[in-house]
Amino acid sequence: MIPSTAQVMPRPGKMVSVRDLKFTYEGGVEALRGVNLDIHEGEMLAIVGGNGSGKTTFAKILNGLLRPPSGSVVVDGKNASSMTVAELAKTVGYAFQNPDHQLFSSTVEDEVRFGPRNLGYPEAEVARMAGQAMDAMRLGAIRGLPPLSLRLSDRRRISIASVIAMDPKVLILDEPTTGLDAAETKNLMESVSMLNREGRTIVLITHDMRLVAEYAHRVVVMSNGRVLLDSDVSGAFSDLALLRQSSLEPPPVTLLAHGLSDHGIPKDIISPQELALRLLMLRGERQ
Amino acid sequence: MTVFVDLYTDADTFLHRLDPRVKIVAVVLLSLLALIIGNLVHLLVLLAFVLLLLALGRATLSKTVFALKFVFRIMVMIVVLWPIFDPSGTPVLAELGPVKITEPAIWKGVAMAVRVCCLATVWYILMFTTSQRDLVRGLVKLGLRFDFGLALAIALRFIPTFGVTVESITDAQRARGLELDKGAPLRRSKNYVAVLVPTIVSALRTADMLSLALQSRAYGARPDRTYLRDLKMRWTDALALAVVVTIFAIPAIAKYLLDASL
Repeated sequence: MIPSTAQVMPRPGKMVSVRDLKFTYEGGVEALRGVNLDIHEGEMLAIVGGNGSGKTTFAKILNGLLRPPSGSVVVDGKNASSMTVAELAKTVGYAFQNPDHQLFSSTVEDEVRFGPRNLGYPEAEVARMAGQAMDAMRLGAIRGLPPLSLRLSDRRRISIASVIAMDPKVLILDEPTTGLDAAETKNLMESVSMLNREGRTIVLITHDMRLVAEYAHRVVVMSNGRVLLDSDVSGAFSDLALLRQSSLEPPPVTLLAHGLSDHGIPKDIISPQELALRLLMLRGERQ
Repeated sequence: MTVFVDLYTDADTFLHRLDPRVKIVAVVLLSLLALIIGNLVHLLVLLAFVLLLLALGRATLSKTVFALKFVFRIMVMIVVLWPIFDPSGTPVLAELGPVKITEPAIWKGVAMAVRVCCLATVWYILMFTTSQRDLVRGLVKLGLRFDFGLALAIALRFIPTFGVTVESITDAQRARGLELDKGAPLRRSKNYVAVLVPTIVSALRTADMLSLALQSRAYGARPDRTYLRDLKMRWTDALALAVVVTIFAIPAIAKYLLDASL
């Protein structure tokens, strides 16, 4: 593991602390082979890696759906292995990749209320929590419609709202933007960023490096059940060989910066604005 | 939750190479045989024969145990319940109110359990050694309408996929605080709605896409079908069929024409 470099975010407390986590599925597939990772309160962490790298297994352990045979998982100061999935749901919310795997109610509002109801909150509190979650995911206009008849971007918002309605401190989003167009992605991620600015810790599981470049504070690259790299975003994108080893490709602007590195452009550029600025500076120097 | 796996194991054994039609007929005949004979010793001989075939088909022990686990529970139930409800015969071993336990009833219960085991195991031979494609091809060649055969093939093909979907849906709802096994029976069955509805919706969506995929590959464009690989009976198939028919015919003739007690 490469030690982390500079951090964009301040680091208040540890929200999740994982030590020497191993997991093997029935049938012998070793999904995790010793993962050490801290997730800090209030950060937006991206976990990236090719298919089968262990991202989803890791997420399922954080919210108790899978029980690790060895290693320790501490979530918000409590030992996760001694808590049930329902207990952990109050702390770690997990929005699944396919929203259709959780939608079943006849209205959006009912769907969002399902989680807090399961956790045993009184009905007035359930209504308040669901209302907040629907506001956060901008569902007010469609609260009375049947979720399953809505389009994918709406269904995904509903599935995320139904998880944040339980007011978890950590929100795990598994491939939240798959199948969404550019505008829908931007809309969704703006809502997610807002949740993050309000203090919620976000764990973003994704293949989309542009999403990572634009929104994440820190990147963890997983490969073959291990953490290959844990760094800030620009640091992660400067090591092209390592990314490709984990079946990942940095965003086009970073690739362009790599191509121009002989001309004095740094390799760790992650946004078009930054590249434009660098090019202008270079021109100024030459003149 | 264990995800349902395809029972078929790829191997190159005599049973794998056998014409699926012969295997289907053989399994039906051997099942009938298990129903015809009632004598414990004869049933045990039949069971030994079936287990031998299973071994010849290179069924691994773990797979056989997995498959027979369900049957075993039913067998235990039969062995326990049969003597309680069958008061016939002597000697009487125990009597408790209306319940009379007799020695012949105990043996009969054991025989019934062995019979059920035979009936189940014999079908595992077919499932273990015949790929789903061959199975459907065999049924269609035996006269099943092709659309029904295709529907069966698709249903079998989607069982594992479906298992994975149900597992994922259950996980997604548990992550929302749903505790499936909590509460009174009524409340518990209500819990399952949260799993059932997404499952049905996902099945309907899959069926919809599947029918489009079939149509886009011109399914049903011609009324008559041709086959890439046709089934042909070879002499080994004929021989196997003859052996099975003989094994079936001798006890059947003995019982129904010669009135032998089996």
